[in-house]
Amino acid sequence: MAAKRNACIIAGGMCKWGVREASLVDMAQEAAKECLEDIPALKPKDIDGFLFATSYAGRCSFQVNTAPVIAERLGLKPTSICARVDVLCAGGSTAILMAKGLVESGMADIVMVAGGEKLYTPQKWEVFYSELASIDHDWDAPNGLGLPPPFFALIAKEHMKHYGTTKEQLAWVSVVNYNYGAENPKAQFQKKLTLEEALGAPPVVPPLTLYDCCPITDGAAAVIIACEEKAKDLTDRPLVYIRGGAQASLHSVSANWPGEHLADWAHLRVAAKRAYEMAKVGPEEVDVAETHDCFSISEVVEVEELGFCKKGEGGSFVESGQTKIGGKIPINTDGGLLSCGHPFGATGIRQGIEIMRQLQGRARFQVEGAEIGLTHNLSGLNVEHTIVIYGREPVK
Amino acid sequence: MAVLGIPILEDKYPVTMDMWPLQAKEFNRIYKFYEHLREGRFTTTRCRTCGHVAYPPRVICPECYSEDLEWIDLPKRGKVLNFTEEVRGVPLGFESPLIHAWIDLGEGSPIKRILSRIINCPVGKLQEGSEVQLVVFEVPSHPIEVKKDTKWVERVFFAFEPVEK
Repeated sequence: MAAKRNACIIAGGMCKWGVREASLVDMAQEAAKECLEDIPALKPKDIDGFLFATSYAGRCSFQVNTAPVIAERLGLKPTSICARVDVLCAGGSTAILMAKGLVESGMADIVMVAGGEKLYTPQKWEVFYSELASIDHDWDAPNGLGLPPPFFALIAKEHMKHYGTTKEQLAWVSVVNYNYGAENPKAQFQKKLTLEEALGAPPVVPPLTLYDCCPITDGAAAVIIACEEKAKDLTDRPLVYIRGGAQASLHSVSANWPGEHLADWAHLRVAAKRAYEMAKVGPEEVDVAETHDCFSISEVVEVEELGFCKKGEGGSFVESGQTKIGGKIPINTDGGLLSCGHPFGATGIRQGIEIMRQLQGRARFQVEGAEIGLTHNLSGLNVEHTIVIYGREPVK
Repeated sequence: MAVLGIPILEDKYPVTMDMWPLQAKEFNRIYKFYEHLREGRFTTTRCRTCGHVAYPPRVICPECYSEDLEWIDLPKRGKVLNFTEEVRGVPLGFESPLIHAWIDLGEGSPIKRILSRIINCPVGKLQEGSEVQLVVFEVPSHPIEVKKDTKWVERVFFAFEPVEK
């Protein structure tokens, strides 16, 4: 039997995120350039597979069948796979999991996984209106559930009701993540945030205020996923292996919520259990994580369901500094969605870049000796969760 | 009516910009759901083979994949478990306040809880435990090409409202 092939993440790059005077195709080129500059030995012609994660290209750029168009702009000539991945906010990490499968199966050797969104259109109403396409069109869109703040405000109220979580604890999520992002030149906001500013911000949907919510963002990001043999030829940096991952989708938004209440995310627990089993690690072994802080409350629930603290204690976990450098598990050390912004298909790729850098020892806020890293995305109105677990060693 | 910047779309109906479901039977095999709404009924499908009740309604049973489904009535009243009120930044297509509630349809209901919109309700009125009831309203009609003619399809949708006005 041939030796098992292992997939490694070996390079990554992104364009400046924010309100960009650039098209989706422009930003994909900027991200791919920075990605290849991160690994000078790799040439575009050596890349045999291309996955592109985007969801709004069809609505905001009038462009479907995105992957071949962008591959051509990047000078890629994929011969194993060339496809678009659309799982909205989780598209990037989902594409990374797919690349793992392609590389480990032997179907591809070196895959560029890129993603991006162009969301700022000439008139502002359109992206907000197009959000109606991100949920079940016939059942949830007519209820005005397209923009996510009302639903996540409901989750926050549920968490407060069942576990006594406070508005101040939510604000701490934003303060910690903004202060990481303040040093990240690619982030949409390079701004330090104080607790007073966070608590004094204007309301969005009560109890959520401005800094509890990630912004609308243009941006793109790209990484290279390669088989271990090729990776060793291409780079002298420590190898970072994709140890495992999982994705779970269990319900519709209108009905059939899988938990006891809306702050009980059973579908995230299902995905986490499977990802930890595949990666052969437990939550206590994770040294650094990127969780999907689309809203402050999301990170509070996620640290619980991912097993970093007990259920119901996510608020006090963040408030007590456990997600800062030196805490139990530093989280969103590049600023997270709250500070970097959230161009949907690119977010999981940005998270992968940060975890790769952490495990290679070259992160901006370095977690000393990090061996295991985790990324988590959710998509839509919390209808799906995607987890990727990275490590300095392959699964034995 | 012209579309700014796109004169060729004058007098055209772009379904890709329509926030309401296509309800005509030409485009939808569950069109009866909307006919039932017009009768004041809130319905979904039950499988005659295995008994599973699905919401939203289907054309196959998601449990056993049988196509032998029947329409059943769901409760038209429920109790608010939790809710949010959006006053500022309400998106195009909706009026302020935009209120959403997680609604308990009661122990007797095959679908226990749903997430829906609350209308006819000022900010501050709704409480946990408030009783709400189904409300059906007209939404814009749209054209369908039928050979060389145009047929207009009338549409409705639903939300919930407080029982106590």
